[in-house]
Amino acid sequence: MSGQTFRDSDTVDFVIVGSGAAGGVVARELAQRGLTVVVLEQGPRIAPQTRMHDELKDWYLGEITNDVVKNPQTFRSAADKDPALQKFKPALWYGRAVGGGSLHYTANFWRLHEIDFVERSALGAIHGTGFADWPISYADLEPYYTKVEWEIGVSGLAGASPFDPPRTRPYPMPPLPVKSSGVLFERGARMLGLHPFPAPMAINSEPYRGRASCVHCGFCHGLPCEVLAKASTLTTVIPEAEATGRCEVRADSYVSRIEVNRQGRVTGVSYFDRERRERMQRARAVVVSANGAETPRLLLMSASPQFPNGLANSSGLVGKYLMFNCVSRAVGVFEHELNEYKSVQVTRVLHDFYDSDPKRGFYGGGGLDARIGPQPTTWAIRTATEGPAWGSAFKARLKEFPRTMQVAAHCTSLAVESNNITLDPNLKDAWGLPAIRVTYKDHPDDLATARFLQDRGAEILDAAGALRVTKAPVTEQTSSVHLLGTCRMGNDPKTSVVDRFHRSHEVPNLFICDGSSMVTSGRGQPTMTIQALAFRAGEHIAGFAKRGEI
Amino acid sequence: MDSANFSRRSLLQAIAAVMATAAAPVGWAEMALAFDQAHAAHGSGERRLSWLKETEAADIKAVAAQIIPTDDSPGALEAGVVYFIDRALGTFFSQLASDYRAQLATFQAGYLARYPAARSFASLTSEQQVEWLKGVDDTPFFTTTHLLTLLGMFTLPTYGGNRDHIGWKLIGFEDTHAFYPPFGHYDRDYPGFAIETAKIK
Repeated sequence: MSGQTFRDSDTVDFVIVGSGAAGGVVARELAQRGLTVVVLEQGPRIAPQTRMHDELKDWYLGEITNDVVKNPQTFRSAADKDPALQKFKPALWYGRAVGGGSLHYTANFWRLHEIDFVERSALGAIHGTGFADWPISYADLEPYYTKVEWEIGVSGLAGASPFDPPRTRPYPMPPLPVKSSGVLFERGARMLGLHPFPAPMAINSEPYRGRASCVHCGFCHGLPCEVLAKASTLTTVIPEAEATGRCEVRADSYVSRIEVNRQGRVTGVSYFDRERRERMQRARAVVVSANGAETPRLLLMSASPQFPNGLANSSGLVGKYLMFNCVSRAVGVFEHELNEYKSVQVTRVLHDFYDSDPKRGFYGGGGLDARIGPQPTTWAIRTATEGPAWGSAFKARLKEFPRTMQVAAHCTSLAVESNNITLDPNLKDAWGLPAIRVTYKDHPDDLATARFLQDRGAEILDAAGALRVTKAPVTEQTSSVHLLGTCRMGNDPKTSVVDRFHRSHEVPNLFICDGSSMVTSGRGQPTMTIQALAFRAGEHIAGFAKRGEI
Repeated sequence: MDSANFSRRSLLQAIAAVMATAAAPVGWAEMALAFDQAHAAHGSGERRLSWLKETEAADIKAVAAQIIPTDDSPGALEAGVVYFIDRALGTFFSQLASDYRAQLATFQAGYLARYPAARSFASLTSEQQVEWLKGVDDTPFFTTTHLLTLLGMFTLPTYGGNRDHIGWKLIGFEDTHAFYPPFGHYDRDYPGFAIETAKIK
């Protein structure tokens, strides 16, 4: 950690709210270009090396994610339903620690395809949705996808998927070793004429940029990587930002409000420090990278007489168009052991069903991958939802853990205005700030896509020789880790919150960059795109600052 | 204990394997040792209740033992799940505690109405227990007990359950800090990924 610190009274060039996948990248891009930066992170700074494969702590006690007691949320499926307090697990699950979600993600790093950016033009409007093109193209983002792969570190095999969008460089590391699930998936898919390929993962398959390679411990999903082989911003770009001597990452600093002056320009942010004292950090500009839930919440909490609907919200779209990515899975049990609890989650993927196909009768597409998903506790909890939940039959099923895999489908979510983040009018968090209220109901086309892909997954398992294949019921989602679309990019201030460079249409020195910027959901695995957007945003925002255009 | 020796041996093997590659992270051997020591806790310590009353614990223990029964292998009873539940409600899941106590009282009133002579749920025959639970397995009491039983069975023994790694042994989960390929039967003779030359589109 660098010793650089700033005082609240110092007016730094930028305050960045959030140190996750996007905030960490933007911090480095600004600091390396000579700008002073304070990153405020609501959670602590942990040492991943001291972690102990403690599922309870990381999955259920919210040590580095939401603590349901301190950071409560409510969930409802529609505005006319009563919101329910989430007492055990929060509806929205995200990192609250330096590194944010990049600490606990699975590290699947697919790029979006060219079609994702222009799908609305290609397919036409979809009634009752905010389906729209992006204001940027795949070609605009390609250099930054490459940057993510090389600067963050992604293992993969260029050219392995015939559906891959164009790329300018190969991956910096070869794919991780295949697991039994990957071999079976590849075998089954090829028998069906499909095109499986080695999964691109932000996990080192060999030592890279000072970080070790994966030791295949099997605890990537939901937990920080103890050997730092899984890339998090905590262990990649943040130390690089700090090494410039111009960036301070202030942990346990919970931003409650973005402050504006009479001219409608941002002057800094108010926040609670570790001792819950209210402080204000002054800055020439603010970048909000707090994730697709906390970003709109902060803008809504920053309402003032000048901005009665929330800051940067003249469009009324802050918090709207929340997208989760719809999901489904088919489960297969095989004769011999796969031992899927070992190593990284995913080693094979396929994108044959990525594009939407009007012949299916509904909008949507997705990717399939081979995995098991859970570690022991989650295995037990999930298994109970897919068959006998207790008794001898349940116990017998639990024993099939080493012989079980699943094909998971990662699908589109349509942008629907009634899916959103609002401030709960009745519930406050431990700091006295309004709790997040989530309203969400999957669009029928999203569920149809998830079911369609689940059937394809089941066919692959059958073809691979599974003794038994089951399809877990596809139901409306009530929780997610993908938080997308809530401050969407666009050229028109009436239909978007930020412009193509992530500058808010309404407040010239306020920028927003994270999952909330995404216009469509992609097909799951959003972090790669969030980081590409962040590299691009950082470069442009630094340019604006240098040219006096902020 | 055999499993402890086995675990120690696999740890040393894992350290040797990682060190033999160029991949060893700085300080990895120390990390692995610390990890091993933490995981060596077999939950043999506390068997006293701190939050649940004995009568409550007896019923919860009986319900947990129906969720993961003891048959040809140990179940929730032997894994000490009730001690995990006791600790959870008294400490890290205290937000669930008051609701849970009330739910338990409702559960108890229910079976006592059906079996007025019962001294406790545990005093019913196993068949009676199963029959009763089938009728209430969608109630909040059962749902919470079920969840806590699974967590107690399969999470780290340091939280009071999963004694002697009974849960992990049941599902064939090997508790080691590192693995190397091949991981399972099907990736043993994998020939390598062949890129298909036929281009789609």
